[in-house]
Amino acid sequence: MRRGVSAGIAVVGALLLISLFLNLVPGDPIDVMLGEQASEVDREALRHAVGMDQAWYAQLWTFSKDFATGELRTSLPPFQKKVLPAIGEALPKTLQLTVASLLIAVGLAIPLGVAAAARKGTAVDSAAMGVAVAGVALPRFWLGPMLIIVFALWLDWLPVSGAESWSHLVLPSVTLGTALAAFLSRMTRAAMLETLREDFVTVARAKGLHPRVVLWKHAFRNALLPILTVLGLEFGTLLGGAIVTEKVFAWPGMGTLLLTAIEKRDYNTVRATVLMFTLCYVIVNTLTDVAYALVDPRVRRRS
Amino acid sequence: MSLLRHTVLGLLFALTTGCRSEPAPEGITVLVEAPPDSLDDRFALTATGQRIAQLIAPGLLTFDDTSRPVPALAESFQALSPTLMEFTLRPGLTFHDGTALTAEDVKATYDGVRSKALQSPKADRYAPVEEVEVVDDRTVRFHLRRPYSPLLAELTLSIVPAERAGPESVALQASHPVGAGAFRFEAQPDEEHLTLVPFEGYYEGPPAIPRLSFRVVRDETTRVLELLKGRADLVTNAVSPAVLPLLRKEPGLRVLVRPGTGYAYLGFNLRSGPLADERVRRAVCHLLEVKPVVEHKFHGLAEPATGMLPGTHWAYTPGEGCRYDPAEAARLLDAAGYVDPDGPGGQPRLRLSLKVSTDRFRKSVALVLQEQLARGGVAVEVRSLEFGTLFNDIRRGNFEMVTLKWASVIEPDLMRNVYHSKNVPTEENHWGGLNRGALKDAALDALLEEASRVELSGRKAIYARAQARLDALLPYAPLWHESSVAVVSRRLEGFEPSAHGFLSSLARARKVEP
Repeated sequence: MRRGVSAGIAVVGALLLISLFLNLVPGDPIDVMLGEQASEVDREALRHAVGMDQAWYAQLWTFSKDFATGELRTSLPPFQKKVLPAIGEALPKTLQLTVASLLIAVGLAIPLGVAAAARKGTAVDSAAMGVAVAGVALPRFWLGPMLIIVFALWLDWLPVSGAESWSHLVLPSVTLGTALAAFLSRMTRAAMLETLREDFVTVARAKGLHPRVVLWKHAFRNALLPILTVLGLEFGTLLGGAIVTEKVFAWPGMGTLLLTAIEKRDYNTVRATVLMFTLCYVIVNTLTDVAYALVDPRVRRRS
Repeated sequence: MSLLRHTVLGLLFALTTGCRSEPAPEGITVLVEAPPDSLDDRFALTATGQRIAQLIAPGLLTFDDTSRPVPALAESFQALSPTLMEFTLRPGLTFHDGTALTAEDVKATYDGVRSKALQSPKADRYAPVEEVEVVDDRTVRFHLRRPYSPLLAELTLSIVPAERAGPESVALQASHPVGAGAFRFEAQPDEEHLTLVPFEGYYEGPPAIPRLSFRVVRDETTRVLELLKGRADLVTNAVSPAVLPLLRKEPGLRVLVRPGTGYAYLGFNLRSGPLADERVRRAVCHLLEVKPVVEHKFHGLAEPATGMLPGTHWAYTPGEGCRYDPAEAARLLDAAGYVDPDGPGGQPRLRLSLKVSTDRFRKSVALVLQEQLARGGVAVEVRSLEFGTLFNDIRRGNFEMVTLKWASVIEPDLMRNVYHSKNVPTEENHWGGLNRGALKDAALDALLEEASRVELSGRKAIYARAQARLDALLPYAPLWHESSVAVVSRRLEGFEPSAHGFLSSLARARKVEP
């Protein structure tokens, strides 16, 4: 219940912010929409057409109502297409990309982090953590083109950009997932080290359990909580990173939709896209809370 | 567990099959920076939109590389009087849907675009047109309210079938455009993809390219990598000069260059402050060294400008531009009262501000200009502003110097918009006037008005006099004209880049297997 309320507050807050940002932009947004060369167009007509002659709360109400009923249309006349179908096409693409990179990140980070923790201080540990530092440090707009050069140009295994087949998904999701994988593996290592020091691990070992069972069944399950927290929080970063990654790989997702809308000064689509990003973030955070309860019986009992 | 294993195996299989090097796409692929804003020329304002719209639906006229209006759908045109122009259409023109293109379609297109109901942003351009008259199937006349020769430059507007000229067909023409152009609309599955196919009934014969695909790739690096991989055949004016030396070395690619028609300038605010003094403007002009910027920043892919018109323009008259002459600049600044307080270096003679957009390249060029002016004792504060703010500031006269460019100077009447005293931005013209430096000169006003009234052949001499007057007044320091650059794959043969970045020569190009 409390989760639902706070999620609702977050969405309403975001809605307020993205509706007000238009009024915070310096200069007249109508001028910006019309551009330099089209100065003689009837400004008032456009102002009326996009509803900017109304008070901000009226604009906010119209936007929310249209968004909720699916009636929201792109700002600029005369081609006022509906916004939601465009989001309906772009959102699955972005989710595909973020989920793939999340899987890559988790698939890489957890074995790496656990291995580093289990062999703390050895070469395995240093190597894994060295890779992790590099992964955090590489910016996506650099990593993306580098991966393209190696895997698309030199090795000729994968396409450069686009979204026509599954093979197009590989490079962007690796690009997007790398930073998270790096961060997550350091997180996993830290969490594992902490649990490995706990008494119940010593007990498990003393019982003569197989080291692998101790590591994964006893220690890892208990280290999962902080890892999940990070995953939930980092999903937002992943969504943000998707904008850059989609640009590099010409991936037709929400980031591309947002950039196109900004170029066209189509404020309704910008607002709707940002709102969708917010919704995704809020939903994932709520899901993370639910996942806590699934993973940890103690959380379940408390709530 | 076995389910998991199967999933993993399945995924791996999907990946490896996907990994096989894909076949090159059928036809020719053009990469563009941004999706076309509209496929309907009556609404397209961006360069990409207009160029693609023109391929699908050309107009009566087009421009050659000297920016002279030349026939397209029209076979010929002549001025019967200063207020009456007659156009004869080519024989046997047809639209993509098989119907004939006649003078009625031309009239319907222009009547439509001029009507309030269509809400075309281009309606105002045809304000001087009083009536479009159909004489016979192939002859159409434009009656003007007053002599206005620049109208020719606006008659490139796409001709659409009469039944699609009204507001009720706007959505249809935008989603499934029909015209009489070389290429016919095939599909636009999403904003990022568009395919066109050759039109069998094109008046110059069907194009040889089997299919023309446009793909949006926003990232410049990715566009270059797609070209290198051989998955793209044409990129026009969307690769920065710094990358071109690399691409020239690629055996699979060719870099084609034409002098361009854009005009980059340093604009002065003549309203008040030191730059209201003509001597100070001239001194700034003499301190600028354009050549090194062109050589190093543009790798030679720009021409130093002497005025708004590029050297290839039909109305161009040779001029001097800003001759680099620091001694003369120092003399002028001394005369204007800005003496050097402590010799070369140290304290500046005067301080000015320069506003520029947030574009990285424009900013870096502004820093070069700053450095050049600093050497002559003019300290410049470069302020980089977001587009909305920059635009608002310069329209309200809130600047000293600004560097911007006119994207494409085709019709020299742009000079009247930019330098005529009536076009200073004011409340009256909704701050839309383009004479942002507030130049006011009666002699120049008269020349520019006259040039817009006389026939094409007489205009060049008047623009030469106007340019001489501008050289004396110096409202802008001319900088350069960037070249039009096309990167073309070896598969695409016969593509001729255009000074304006037009794609029309794709109609005559063909695809070869290297």
